Amino acid sequence: MGLWAKFKNTTLYKSIYRNDYPDTPRNQVLVILNSVVLHLHPVKLPRRAVRVSYTWGLGGLSLLMFLILTLTGVWLMFYYVPAVPHGYQSMKFLDTNVIFGPFARNMHRWAAHGMVIAVWLHMTRVFYTGSYKPPREFNWVIGVVLFLVTVLLSFTGYLLPWDQLAYWAIMVGSNMAKVSPVVGTYVQQALLGGFDIGPATLIRWYTLHVILLPLACIALMAMHFWRIRKDGGISTPIPYDEDGETDQLNDNNEGKS
Amino acid sequence: MADVTEKFQQAGPKVQPGAKEEMVYTWPYLVSIEAIMAVTMILALTIMSTFVNAPLLDLANADITPNPAKAPWYFLGLQELLLHMHPALAGVIVPTAALVLLGMIPYIDRDRRGTGIWFSTKKGVPIAVFAAIYTAVIEITLVVVDEFLIIPGIHPDGSKGIGPLLKFGLAKAFGIKEVWTAWIGEILIPIIFMIAIPWILASWVKRRYKANTREVMISLYTFYLTSFVVLSLIGTAFRGESMHLMWPWQVKPPH
Ligand code: HEM
Repeated sequence: MGLWAKFKNTTLYKSIYRNDYPDTPRNQVLVILNSVVLHLHPVKLPRRAVRVSYTWGLGGLSLLMFLILTLTGVWLMFYYVPAVPHGYQSMKFLDTNVIFGPFARNMHRWAAHGMVIAVWLHMTRVFYTGSYKPPREFNWVIGVVLFLVTVLLSFTGYLLPWDQLAYWAIMVGSNMAKVSPVVGTYVQQALLGGFDIGPATLIRWYTLHVILLPLACIALMAMHFWRIRKDGGISTPIPYDEDGETDQLNDNNEGKS
Repeated sequence: MADVTEKFQQAGPKVQPGAKEEMVYTWPYLVSIEAIMAVTMILALTIMSTFVNAPLLDLANADITPNPAKAPWYFLGLQELLLHMHPALAGVIVPTAALVLLGMIPYIDRDRRGTGIWFSTKKGVPIAVFAAIYTAVIEITLVVVDEFLIIPGIHPDGSKGIGPLLKFGLAKAFGIKEVWTAWIGEILIPIIFMIAIPWILASWVKRRYKANTREVMISLYTFYLTSFVVLSLIGTAFRGESMHLMWPWQVKPPH
């Protein structure tokens, strides 16, 4: 018996992996059911749903970006001080004195842009494949909120380096919020913590960026993934006869055409 | 079974009643694709992060305004609108309306037929192409007109564009106060444009293609998509000093 085979026989290994390598139907079922991550998936799914040209994997890539951002974000938090001008200095320090500092910052930056793009393209894929139609209406709505949260995550993060680029980009953005009808000044006070972008703004945006918005994103993603399963998995064409009016249409349909 | 989608794409969404989907195991069919995609993406990001540095300019300084000051790229479409209308409209009302309307799509288009097929029907692609060209042509034209339009006698102070034309023109012609005519150019006309452009598109598509709800929806989403792309591109690559229109190579990167 080889060393690996011996190891697979130990109590330790068996306590972690409850099934053998998934190369038999039984184990292909078990591997999904036994693993917390894999069991987000169904055990089986329509062949057309796994075709890359159907989803382009964009929902999954959005999630991947989020995970990368969480990891690199924690790394950045070890060094980042949310104060004026310390925020800027920690960026400088990170860029020159920290091992993998520039790398982590670059990765966080590019993945952030990547996530906005991926989420936006994912929404576009869902739209053009008609996958928002009943019974997936509400998951589309959750998606729209996820899109908003993603953009807000990116926007709040944009201020944190506290350099000219950050400051003036946020200035342009928050000047737009200021002119909201009726509630404008309140919105601005709430967002900026004062009349101008200053230390109070930085700490607010930092808090939103590292706690509130990521938690919101996680909660929404949990609902999103749960509902994909509950709505019958990835969308597939509805069987119907073009001449018949309502055959095989589900009760959710209100018969419009 | 693999060509089923193509077949129905060609023929419109006509799936045999009761046709069963061919099922495959998640392991390995999906898990392997997910793994390959994740690894490829991580590799690409790693390479990019090794060679391309995130920008870090000078310390923020409220006294030194960069010219131009630009929002992050995904807001540059809105910032572009800002040049053509009242800021409350461009910065608050339009984005809010866009999100609400996006969220309403599945509550307006409730027919399940066409689910799960790219562009749903054989008219889907031509309608999307038509809507994209329609939107791009109109918006680019409007941006250019608003940048350069100048009518001697009505644009006296060197101002250009549709807003000032109405502001001074109407004030002169009818003796109305300029505060009121400014309101027409900054709020009323932009709202009319923003409603009329998609409205005309939808009715046109309905007539020309005898489109159903889904197909009209495709034209409207394409309007949204094209507007976002066109306006963001103009805002990113064609707006330089003082937010004037110029060629991309004349636009200096932020410094
Ligand atoms: C953080 C952002 C998001 C993540 C991580 C995410 C993730 C996913 C994943 C993994 C799927 C499975 C299929 C696929 O990959 O395409 C999916 C499906 C879906 N997503 Fe998202 N999504 C996000 C944002 C959105 C947005 C912005 C929308 C729409 C406005 C949306 C609407 C939907 C719908 C309706 C489905 C079901 C599609 C189908 O059944 O074919 N999602 N999402």
